[in-house]
Amino acid sequence: MARQVLGSLLAAAVLVAVVIVVVTWRIGPTSTAELDAREERLEQRIEAEEEAREELEDLREDRGR
Amino acid sequence: MEDLIESVTRGNPTEVKVVLASVALALGCYQLLLIAIGYGKLRPGFLSGRAASFSHRAIGDALAVVLVVVAVMCVSLFGFEDDATAHVIAGSALIVVLAAKVTVVRVTRGSSRALPPLGLALFALLAVTWATSAGAFLGDR
Repeated sequence: MARQVLGSLLAAAVLVAVVIVVVTWRIGPTSTAELDAREERLEQRIEAEEEAREELEDLREDRGR
Repeated sequence: MEDLIESVTRGNPTEVKVVLASVALALGCYQLLLIAIGYGKLRPGFLSGRAASFSHRAIGDALAVVLVVVAVMCVSLFGFEDDATAHVIAGSALIVVLAAKVTVVRVTRGSSRALPPLGLALFALLAVTWATSAGAFLGDR
């Protein structure tokens, strides 16, 4: 009987672990560090796009001359 | 209490509450299976009724603690809001039925005929409480 009880308790522990992983994945990142990193990546991407656009405009202006 | 919850959950009390409530619901489903085996309604070869009943009791003790922690977090952070009437009623009834079930188990040593209906009511209230809060939160994601 002890093995059966242990097995059923182990199954409950596995169930709890699976639920925690699935729900946390569903909620997504919430920590301040992760949100800051995400914001920083977004800003870098916007800056890179602006630089590329300015370079393109400069190139067009040079060709126009 | 609010500051303690904020610091323990690192500023994510709602998310932690959703995870704990979801764990409670999953364990509630597992509890139904275990007690069905305990009462002989299901007869899998790998688990006896006595072992299933013992596990049901052990997991139930842990589950009661989780439910009380979630209830304390909920009341401390949100109180009894007017725009969450269904959740407030179901959650309050859940705690009352939980207290009644624990009392009946302690007094009758688990032999009362009131336990199956109390257990089913507890599970139904847990499902409604989860659906009106954690379920809605996860659905919006």
